[in-house]
Amino acid sequence: MPDNHVDLPQGTLDLLILKTINLQPLHGWAISERIQQISNEVLQVQQGSLYPALHRLERRGWIKARWGTSENNRRAKYYELTRAGRKQLEAEETSWRKLTTAIAQILETT
Amino acid sequence: MLDNLQFRLRSLFRREHVEEEMNEELRFHYEHQVEKYAASGLSREEAQRRARFAIGGEDKIKEDVREARGVSFVETLLQDLHYGARMLRKNPSFTVVAILTLALGMGATTAIFSVVDALLLRPLPYGDPASLVVVWENSIRHSHPHNVVAPANFADWQRQNSVFESMAAMADTRANLTGAGTPKQVIVQNVTAGFFHVVDVNPVVGSGFTEENWKQGKDDVVILDYGFWKERFGSDPYLIGKTIDINGKPQVVVGIAPKDFNLYVKDGSLTGAKPQMWSPWAVPQSFGDRKESMGRYLTVVARMKAGVTLAQARDQMSTIATRLQQQYPDTNAHWGATVVLIREQLSGDLRPALVTLFCAVAFVLLIACANVSGLLLARAAKREKEIAIRTAIGASRWRVARQLLTESLLLAIIGGLLGLLLAVWGTNALLAASPKGLLGLNSVSLDNRLLSFAVAATLLSSLLFGFLPSYVATHSPIAETLKDETRGSSAGGRRRLLRHALVVGQMGLAMVLLAGSGLLIRSFIRLAGVNPGFETRNLLTFQVSLPRSKYAKDPLQVAFFNEFLARIERVPGVRSVSMENYPPLTGLGAATSIHILGQPQMATAESPVSGSRVVGPDYFSTMGIPMLQGRTFSNPELNEARHVVIVNQAFVEKHLAGENPLGKKVVIHMRDDKVDEQNPSEIIGVCGSVRQMGPGEEAKPNAYWPMPELPYSRMTVLVRTSNAPSSVVAPIRYELRQMDPELPMASIATMDQLLSDSISRSRFTMFVLGIFAAIALALTAVGIYGVIAYSVAQRTHEIGIRMALGAQRRNVLGLVLRQGTRLTLIGVGIGIVAALALTQLMSSLLYGVSATDPVTFAAVILILAAVAFFATFVPARHATQVSPIVALRYE
Repeated sequence: MPDNHVDLPQGTLDLLILKTINLQPLHGWAISERIQQISNEVLQVQQGSLYPALHRLERRGWIKARWGTSENNRRAKYYELTRAGRKQLEAEETSWRKLTTAIAQILETT
Repeated sequence: MLDNLQFRLRSLFRREHVEEEMNEELRFHYEHQVEKYAASGLSREEAQRRARFAIGGEDKIKEDVREARGVSFVETLLQDLHYGARMLRKNPSFTVVAILTLALGMGATTAIFSVVDALLLRPLPYGDPASLVVVWENSIRHSHPHNVVAPANFADWQRQNSVFESMAAMADTRANLTGAGTPKQVIVQNVTAGFFHVVDVNPVVGSGFTEENWKQGKDDVVILDYGFWKERFGSDPYLIGKTIDINGKPQVVVGIAPKDFNLYVKDGSLTGAKPQMWSPWAVPQSFGDRKESMGRYLTVVARMKAGVTLAQARDQMSTIATRLQQQYPDTNAHWGATVVLIREQLSGDLRPALVTLFCAVAFVLLIACANVSGLLLARAAKREKEIAIRTAIGASRWRVARQLLTESLLLAIIGGLLGLLLAVWGTNALLAASPKGLLGLNSVSLDNRLLSFAVAATLLSSLLFGFLPSYVATHSPIAETLKDETRGSSAGGRRRLLRHALVVGQMGLAMVLLAGSGLLIRSFIRLAGVNPGFETRNLLTFQVSLPRSKYAKDPLQVAFFNEFLARIERVPGVRSVSMENYPPLTGLGAATSIHILGQPQMATAESPVSGSRVVGPDYFSTMGIPMLQGRTFSNPELNEARHVVIVNQAFVEKHLAGENPLGKKVVIHMRDDKVDEQNPSEIIGVCGSVRQMGPGEEAKPNAYWPMPELPYSRMTVLVRTSNAPSSVVAPIRYELRQMDPELPMASIATMDQLLSDSISRSRFTMFVLGIFAAIALALTAVGIYGVIAYSVAQRTHEIGIRMALGAQRRNVLGLVLRQGTRLTLIGVGIGIVAALALTQLMSSLLYGVSATDPVTFAAVILILAAVAFFATFVPARHATQVSPIVALRYE
């Protein structure tokens, strides 16, 4: 396990989850694997934060869960975006871009 | 929103299902994790171990997920309640003591609140009571701000003011109701035009008065009180439009007042009783013109215009009063005006007592809370480890505190429910036991207001007694507690300090209550010991009122009463009999300006004042009033006006100090001014002073005339009996019926009863506060006992060592007693300071005792110290019986 991972800034986990399941419904394990893979193992999502986050997002109505069958034929709980979730994702993406651009500018100029 | 609700409900009600899904989801994750590690070449066991490690505390995750799902509040509450109930069941003795303590505290508080609420806070049965006021004349010279009003002044007020939208006056009187059934004396309130408009009340049945009814010849109409209508006429709806006979004159019933409506203003009532019907009455023109002599007897109510403040109304009324003073100095010098809000007027004299009782009961509740808090602290010591372990495995401080507070809430709810039952039952028992009409309240019932109060009291007290113990429990260092095998932990020390503080606080509060009730008891003893100035034993009183229609002429009235008294005298068991127009202890009497010949004549408003009473033969011997000087009335003087008067000692002291009163002539302005001036009365005797208004009021100057001097159609007959007065009632009623079957025997009472009623409020307040003080004392005793017993139990080990090392029993006894004494001294010290400050507030309830009465305080300190000593002594003795061997083994 390479030790180059960073801690997730507060509040970004929700954004990552929404983004990850934007393309297709995924179960919890797949979500954490996907985030890890795409970030080149930099971001690791602990189960301790992942599942509470999923249930919180479900409560807010941004994602919904349904039971399906996994690749190796097991029952698994799949999460997908709702209409409200898609809107939320757009809004969060926009504000995240603004934030990172601003921070990048500050870091570069000073 | 709806989705969200559905989601939450699912989480709550399909809990098992949701839990199962969560478990499955987490298991799925775990298995994938294991496979991933296994795929990277680890052994199966190692992969599982790593996976478990990666997941971390599974229970913690589940707990977080539950919280994220957002149902945890309700769910946790249920869980906590469940757990709390189990804890309470496991410690039955603790639970029973705590619940009983709380039930007692909350029961007493709710009971007093129900009375306070009914009398001081509830909406009044008048339209917008905030703008309804009573306007009085203010007798500046006699410092009597609530004086009844002269009709002429009322007429001027009505004309000159611009702050009131409407104004009306009333005066109550007794009258005989005849016709069907036994004749009965009733209270009629005569009201001027617009009275029902001012109070903004319409009859529930019938159309009420019209403007016309205040014109001459159209005023033979009445509106009946709801209760009276029910009691006398069985709520007969067809009574409207029919007539009833009042003083022999038919009156048409035109309305029934609403159920709760009544307007009885004690300060201005001439009968001292609630009105049973209303009758229109117009201020005669001659009064308004000030052509006739002044008398003051009206109670005035007024409705302030919208936007007018009480201060503005007061301002303008005093301006008008000042103007009238200058305009009519003869009658109005030294007379101002007082404006009082109706609520203040109606509850004014009860307020100090009720406020005192409410404060007292709040103290009782505080003591009860302190007690339970102490018990919880003691118990928290036993649960210290449990709590430390829960904190160590990840329970947050808030979570633990919540658990403990929930337990407190459970205790408070059970205590509160019991208390509520206790309150309703207790209040009604108390009201039933209290003399009739004392509080103007017959019963209280459980309603929303009372329930809300009980709920609020429950929540508040659960916070009050639960906060400290849960704070201490959650703020003790975990590691230390878990390590600590001995009893001297810092949390333990803090707890001990807190418990001691609680006990000291309790003692302080108990001291205040004891001092308050001690002062009331002493006041009451003083009051009950006051000599009213006459002999109250075996003295029967009742009223007879002769209708003008039948007994129009004075001699007829004198003759009637003389014959009636003669007949009564022959009844077996009667020792002597007399009569008086305004006997003592029955309410207001007449008072007037006088002029003693030989002294300078002054304007009416400046003249000396005396009460004026009219009496029958043998009055002074029948009443047991001693003659101090001179003689009583002779037979001729009792049969025709010879212009003689007997005055009381207070009269002589006030108006004839240092002079020989016998033979002095005095003009008493009770009749036409000319008649009075031409026929001054000669003082022929001086009698002892009688406290007319009750033992709490000083005797005032008074002049007694024999009946022919000023015949009254209504007299109170006074019968001195040799045995119980009740035995002569029936034969006397028979005699009265023989003379006139239409006359009722009204307001039958014994003087002992009247005397006892006159101090009943004082007795009632004393009684209730006494109960509270007793409860407070008992709770405090339990409190200090608990603290000392607990500390002895904690120190068993230490005591054992001391005894093994040679300490004597008395050393051990002293050791424990010293601890208790120290707490008692601090508690009593704080209590004295608090009591000295707080008893000042109840000084209006005291009679003949100062609010800082040293005797009371000394007695109270002794009682509290003795009880505290006893409560300490029991566990202290227990400590001396500790066997050193057992104690050393004691863990």
